[in-house]
Amino acid sequence: MSELPKQSSLTKNQLTITKLNGLASIQDLGRLSSQHLGFSASGAADEYAFLAANALLNNNKNCAALEVTLGQIHLQANTDCTIALAGADCQAMILSLSGKQSSIKNWQNHQLKQGDILQLHRPEKMLHSYIAIKDGIQSKFWLKSRSQTFNELALAFTDQQLQVSDKLPFSIKATIDASTARFEQQLSRSKISPESFYCQQALTLRFIPSHLYISLTPYRQQEFIKQTYKILSESNRMGYRLNGATPVLHEQSQAGLSKPVSYGSIQLPSNGQPIVLMKERQTIGGYPVLGTVMQTDLFRLSQKRPGESVNFIPITIDQAQAQLSAFYQRF
Amino acid sequence: MRVSGDIAIQCSGENSILIVWPEKVSRNQHQVITEYQEYINAQLPSFIIETVSSYNSLMVYYRFDLISFQQFSDKLNMTYQDVSKTSSQPSTNKYSTIEIPVYYGCDAGWDLKSLSNKLNLSIEEIISLHSNMVYHTYALGFTPGFCYLATIDQKLQLARKEKPRLIMPKGAVAIAEQQTAVYPIKSPGGWHIIGQTPKAMFSTTSSDFSSTISVGQQVAFKAVSLDEFHSLGGVVEVEKK
Repeated sequence: MSELPKQSSLTKNQLTITKLNGLASIQDLGRLSSQHLGFSASGAADEYAFLAANALLNNNKNCAALEVTLGQIHLQANTDCTIALAGADCQAMILSLSGKQSSIKNWQNHQLKQGDILQLHRPEKMLHSYIAIKDGIQSKFWLKSRSQTFNELALAFTDQQLQVSDKLPFSIKATIDASTARFEQQLSRSKISPESFYCQQALTLRFIPSHLYISLTPYRQQEFIKQTYKILSESNRMGYRLNGATPVLHEQSQAGLSKPVSYGSIQLPSNGQPIVLMKERQTIGGYPVLGTVMQTDLFRLSQKRPGESVNFIPITIDQAQAQLSAFYQRF
Repeated sequence: MRVSGDIAIQCSGENSILIVWPEKVSRNQHQVITEYQEYINAQLPSFIIETVSSYNSLMVYYRFDLISFQQFSDKLNMTYQDVSKTSSQPSTNKYSTIEIPVYYGCDAGWDLKSLSNKLNLSIEEIISLHSNMVYHTYALGFTPGFCYLATIDQKLQLARKEKPRLIMPKGAVAIAEQQTAVYPIKSPGGWHIIGQTPKAMFSTTSSDFSSTISVGQQVAFKAVSLDEFHSLGGVVEVEKK
């Protein structure tokens, strides 16, 4: 991995946020080695779309991109640049200085001319969209990552919460010839296409069972995996709260001593309704844990909206690792 | 999962292993955990991405592209057996005890009056019970630099507030259940505030973050007067109602 410049002072190239109606944050693959200091690992919610956006620009995998939740953002370029769009389809358009408006496709790279405004609308399906730029957004670099974590914004180690008139700096040579990004053709091939990655029906979350799950009676285990869970509206980048008809109860319902938690931990508070921990999880948690959802299914889950349904099925660690290895080989 | 001696090694995801010791708050056991953590970080750096310890557990994030879960858990287990053979007694604490000055006035200790009622103790008794003890740092988490210290006197132990406050002031010294802590920054929180400290809980450079208190370190709280609090740079945050 080549090192990116850590300071943005050398570049005056920037995308300016001219409208923002939802949530947007700068994300890369996260702050993976500072959890012992209490920093959330954070990072792009949906690595499939994030990595695809960078691959569409021949970018380094860890280049910071903009993660936009439910679209509704406008960005104006002060110089020519190449960007890529991936994730939730926001019916994007480019509005040029001359007033010409053109629709552009998702899962592709695009050239922006100086003064062009990129407009993303509210998507009909999914949640997060990624806007990547050639060589990445050059925002504040802190503990090996540019990822912003909502709960840590007050520390001001990374850029502040994004708002209208904020400027996202990018590198000096931020254009590429569209034809040089071969990933677009690869992406349309069925095996790694977005259509085949995101399932259209209810998502089945494959999980690696914990000691607690294994110690449940077969009846209780069946109760957990036979039900359909609805995603509650309190879900966010930190965790997905689920609701099922039958609470999962067990003897260990008392919160024990707090233990480190991982990406995908299925926490079970005393009400018996699971919470799946996502990218912006805290480092330590006190609730009993039923298992860990495998990462490739967490990328899919991050794109599901409140009201949508999921269910669980156990798998082995070997199966989960094989899926994740195969996933990373695509990018 | 495998259980070997006093530890259970569990798979906690594609790239993480959780090692769990018996469910108890014990300085000796915790010192075994942090020494083992240091040992594997030094011995197995090529496989380890990150380690996070807590009261009776240790999470090890590892490079699953380099080693299988089975092989790595065997390696962790063997290393643990070696370490526990060689040191039957935990060595002396490598950190010196850190002293944290606290102004325990009722303007700073937002919950002192309600705690006094709930615990059936005078405010002076609460202050003396809290400041007459040396605590052990069992974990760092929740927010950067937030350290879980234990064990507070049985008489002070109370469940956290049912409704957490949206804003706990920076430097709030608080208690909940068996624990006490200092809030490093303004954040939401459900613990009971008994005082405030002017001491910063972390320091930073452009590329580094260091926590004032380290996991495994001993911590003592020292009552200071309002004048001393001010001379140390403290500004009392008063509760806005």
